Amino acid sequence: MTNPTAPTPTVGDKLRWAIQDTATITWRDMIRTARQPEMLSFAVVMGLFFLLLFNYVFGGAIGAGTGVDYIQFLVPGVFVITALQGAQQTSTGLAQDLAEGVINRFRSLPMSQVAVIAGRTVADSLRNIVGVILVALVGLLMGFRFASLWGAIGAIALTVAMGYAFSWLGASIAAKIRNAEMVGMLSMFWLFPMMLASSAFTPTSAMPGWLRAFADNQPISVAADAVRALTDGTPAGSATLSALAWIVGMLIVFVPLSTRLYSRP
Amino acid sequence: MASTSDAPVIVAEGLWKSYGDIPAVRDLSFEVRPGSVFGLLGPNGAGKTTTINMLTTLLPIDAGRASVAGFDVERAPEAVRQVIGLAGQAAAIDEKLTARENLEMFGRLYKMPKPERRARVDELIEQFRMTEYADRTVSTYSGGQRRRIDVVAALIANPPALFLDEPTTGLDPRSRVELWEEIRSLADGGTAVVLTTQYLEEADRLADHIVIIDRGTVVASGTAGALKDDLDRDVLEVHFASVGDLNLAVGKMAGVTDDYGTDETSSKLTIPISEGSASSLALLRRFEDAGIPIVDFHYRRPTLDDVFMSHTDEVITGSGRSK
Repeated sequence: MTNPTAPTPTVGDKLRWAIQDTATITWRDMIRTARQPEMLSFAVVMGLFFLLLFNYVFGGAIGAGTGVDYIQFLVPGVFVITALQGAQQTSTGLAQDLAEGVINRFRSLPMSQVAVIAGRTVADSLRNIVGVILVALVGLLMGFRFASLWGAIGAIALTVAMGYAFSWLGASIAAKIRNAEMVGMLSMFWLFPMMLASSAFTPTSAMPGWLRAFADNQPISVAADAVRALTDGTPAGSATLSALAWIVGMLIVFVPLSTRLYSRP
Repeated sequence: MASTSDAPVIVAEGLWKSYGDIPAVRDLSFEVRPGSVFGLLGPNGAGKTTTINMLTTLLPIDAGRASVAGFDVERAPEAVRQVIGLAGQAAAIDEKLTARENLEMFGRLYKMPKPERRARVDELIEQFRMTEYADRTVSTYSGGQRRRIDVVAALIANPPALFLDEPTTGLDPRSRVELWEEIRSLADGGTAVVLTTQYLEEADRLADHIVIIDRGTVVASGTAGALKDDLDRDVLEVHFASVGDLNLAVGKMAGVTDDYGTDETSSKLTIPISEGSASSLALLRRFEDAGIPIVDFHYRRPTLDDVFMSHTDEVITGSGRSK
């Protein structure tokens, strides 16, 4: 650089930096994912694992008990769970990053600091798209059907958007805790209740009232319901709006929060 | 390099930093001019990395002020980040990327235009003789190769101010000498370098000006030569067979001088000998007369080690620590 008389950047510069730097960090995280293929396969294998396990272990009982076509019910749920797993990987991945020295160099560079997290959430979302498509392909083999192409595209888009919002939640936890093992253990406490006390795997109608109040309204359920409406081509009721509200709300809270937590020395 | 004047590039004025109640850096001031290497020398925990972190915008400054290339570190951190390079234990590289990818990434983050960036990456890889391994992931590198790419990554945007935090710690002697030559040639090219080190030889070889810090505060300052001249005396080192013998010898020092150091791990007594003090021969005879067997002794000119030890508590402890 032949220009050491660099001025303090303007707001416009900062915005441009944020976009450029997010692209750079996304590129870096994607190279890292490609070099650790187990990171990609973990999320996908988890999705396939849930798909097979729930369909063949519980599918008969749930189908017989509720009269729903279980594979048609299950696949959209597993979409959302796969995206949630991807968000959990944002959390452990960022915690790992924060423990590495390269973060110190990032902090000393003339770059947008939010890009370190934003780049990772974007890279993880791109990985989520691959994961959800793989789950859909296996679902198709198991008898699952999309009602329309647009429904399929909408379902995948909504799933990935919800996963993206959860990635920022995961990033906030990582930026606070900064220890990959601790973050991994802690994730059990938010991941499992979110996954199981939801409409992802089973209809909530058989749950006790107090649990149902939570299960019907939490983001995983409304996302699963909205995705299901898109795959089936049925009316979604308020689920789509609720899902979008959760996505926007989580981004409003966790983007600034994770950035602030990350900025601490 | 843009700096044509001889005005200091890096200025620290009365820096203070505490972690809770524990002071890490106390009232530290210095200036670094273009083309010179400033050595910050001290034991572990002396406050070297804390100082580097404050100057490179990684840590808030409690009191005092600092500037790099005229930009205030606290008020214009983004401008400062455009004129500095950081390497060593305070920074690192991405282990999962290759050296070339790391340089490419840092070049992008410095917003270097693509043609300039590509040319610079190629130039650095060639200049630092990394061609052979530049396209392997960093996790496969030897310690020396890793340190080298770490330092080279700090150079991507050709910064006028370079901060190297213990850049040669853990390197084998040959890699260390190679890195010294490279750092020297960067300074000769006009870069202002701040170098922290625990190695006296490194400061002696590289630094134009040395500040010795201990527990966050400056205990000595000057060129390597001046610091050694300051210690205007030769040194007698006497090795004993045991700590018991060492303590007996210390007892015999009463009434002679209280200016000496002891090293219990090697049962060694270090006594400065200057004009007008007891002669070495008289001291050795004193121990012999008292029946304390002497394993070995050396009489030598002072080294930067003695300067360091005369100013810090680190290796040598004893009631007679000079000054």
